[in-house]
Amino acid sequence: MSDTSLASQSGTALYLAIQRKRNIGVRSLFLVVLAFLVAYGVLFPGLFTATGFAKFTQSWFPLALVAMAQAILMLTGGISLAIGALVSLGAVVAATTMTGPLGVTGGTLLVCVVGLGIGAATGLIVVKLRLPAIVVTLAGSFIIAGAALLVLPRPGGAIPDWLSNSLAGNTPAAFGVLVVIVLAWKLYLATPLGLSLYAAGEHPVGAYRSGVPVDAARIAAYAISGLLCTGAGLFVAAQTGSGDPIIGNSFTLNSIAAAVLGGIGFLGGQGTMRGALAGSLLLSLMISVMFFLGFTPVAQYVAQGLIIIGAVALPQFRMRAK
Amino acid sequence: MKKTSLFASASLLGLGLVMSAAGISQADAAANCIKGDRKAPYTLGWANIYSVPTWMKQTQGTIEAEVEQLKKEGLVDKLVVTDAQGDSNVQIQQIQSMIDADVDAIILIAGSSTAPARVLADACAKGIAIINFDSLVDSNDVTAKVNTDSAQWGEQATKFMIDALGGKGKILILNGPAGVSVSDDRRAGGEALLKANPDIQILAETNTAYNVAPAQEAVTSLLFANPEIDGILSFGGALSAGAVLALDKQGREQVPITGENARQFLELWKEKGLKSWATMQPNWLGAFAAYTAVQALEGKDVPAFVKVPLPIIDNSNIDEYLARAKDFPADGYIYSPYDRELFAKLLAQQ
Repeated sequence: MSDTSLASQSGTALYLAIQRKRNIGVRSLFLVVLAFLVAYGVLFPGLFTATGFAKFTQSWFPLALVAMAQAILMLTGGISLAIGALVSLGAVVAATTMTGPLGVTGGTLLVCVVGLGIGAATGLIVVKLRLPAIVVTLAGSFIIAGAALLVLPRPGGAIPDWLSNSLAGNTPAAFGVLVVIVLAWKLYLATPLGLSLYAAGEHPVGAYRSGVPVDAARIAAYAISGLLCTGAGLFVAAQTGSGDPIIGNSFTLNSIAAAVLGGIGFLGGQGTMRGALAGSLLLSLMISVMFFLGFTPVAQYVAQGLIIIGAVALPQFRMRAK
Repeated sequence: MKKTSLFASASLLGLGLVMSAAGISQADAAANCIKGDRKAPYTLGWANIYSVPTWMKQTQGTIEAEVEQLKKEGLVDKLVVTDAQGDSNVQIQQIQSMIDADVDAIILIAGSSTAPARVLADACAKGIAIINFDSLVDSNDVTAKVNTDSAQWGEQATKFMIDALGGKGKILILNGPAGVSVSDDRRAGGEALLKANPDIQILAETNTAYNVAPAQEAVTSLLFANPEIDGILSFGGALSAGAVLALDKQGREQVPITGENARQFLELWKEKGLKSWATMQPNWLGAFAAYTAVQALEGKDVPAFVKVPLPIIDNSNIDEYLARAKDFPADGYIYSPYDRELFAKLLAQQ
């Protein structure tokens, strides 16, 4: 008994120590995000009402999901340029099925299957055929974008009103879903595949020799990433009440920006999901805060660039100074 | 996109007629979304989708000029401008911010015909005047939509070409990108006239981006294949400039050509002594939207859809346009003159 309690005690201490160490790289980002949150709250006190909080988290939600989708891949040393196309596909599949015979349940299932399926297929091609992820997903983005246009050539379709109102109405339901997804991610990291994720990214050869299922971990990462993307698409469809076959385009670049801002390295195995989430939150906050500060569009372009450079460069300088 | 929204607005007009017939007992004929609880001076929000293209910059210029005028009249005290950088999701977030900041009116070029519908419904429910122009939404929760007619653009251009050739001749047709609604709608607008005039022989059609270089390249290769060309039916100003340059480089004689009010094309028109015709998407649609928003807030009834007639440039008035060329950027558009009288006339039409 005492043995296990000692083990769990030192286990907790070890866990906290690891978490502290992991937070080092993103601490300054957290501070920046906090500063922006405070600024937003001061500029727009309505943020602290249920509706205000709901609307803000709804703006952030799809970006948070695609940032996670990109971060998972970058942690395994991969990347995806098909994020935006997958979001679009998820949105048009949801908008064309949910008011049809499949209904909301069937439509949601189909969106999940499409995401998991395309993600897994991409993963198989990248991992088993040993092709560069950037090339495979670039080609994939054209195919997926084309598929989205085939499903719905012009903006249209519909999402049942009750679904739009419950996911993207005046309640912070989207934030609740995000909390659940983050908890699920924590659980996943405790599974054998989840544990292998970082190892597969940081040192694939070493991990393989230690018996880590490197290939399986990487393919699973692509599948999960695909699911997150089409899920984000479903949400965008619910938020807008309809489907638009090119609505997701900008998410590809923004997902990479959020992940890099959050301290995820391009070489795999570096960074944390909380960093990527904070990065996406900062990108989303910037838009609203600059609006309330009354920045002109030109000033917004410049400020956005400066903030991103600042958030990425400061921790680097500090590390070098040490 | 344009076409569907035109249908939507046509049905909206029908709906509006039914509703106004049914709601005669209502004391005030206020425009859609207007509750009458907002008082001057107003704050206007200008939700742009993308501010970088020259057309957009010039459009913003007309909005700013109109707002200056409205400020002097004590009707407006502030203009807030957002730029979604081409991202419809960002545009939704920015419209939400405008609602949060409680602006009195939103003028909008939509990045997607469907995506802003729900956030606009929220804004409309809060009594914010919404004037949507150029790229329209498929939603009825706006105060007014303002646009020209792309099909009419195509029809009038085709009519000029048929008349210029006396109903008989060989032509090239230059289109914008396939699958883009403006491009499709302009081409479709000319189809009936082309069918009715079988002596007009279509040698070839091109689809290029609305830029000079790709159009010039496409026309150059068509010139090699077709030694005899009587006219060029172009559905875009930059395309026309590219075609004129291609003919010039090949040493070919210029032929009748249609186009748009791009300054470069108008200057080539004069320089090469072309027989030509051009129309435009007037930049002052922006100024008109700002004006209309304030009119609606002031309790005036505004039509749910304002169809702006296409201003025409031909050999009779090209000199008037070129005389004002120095006031416009070199890569910009020389739009037709506008004033409050014109705006009032546009609003009076039903």
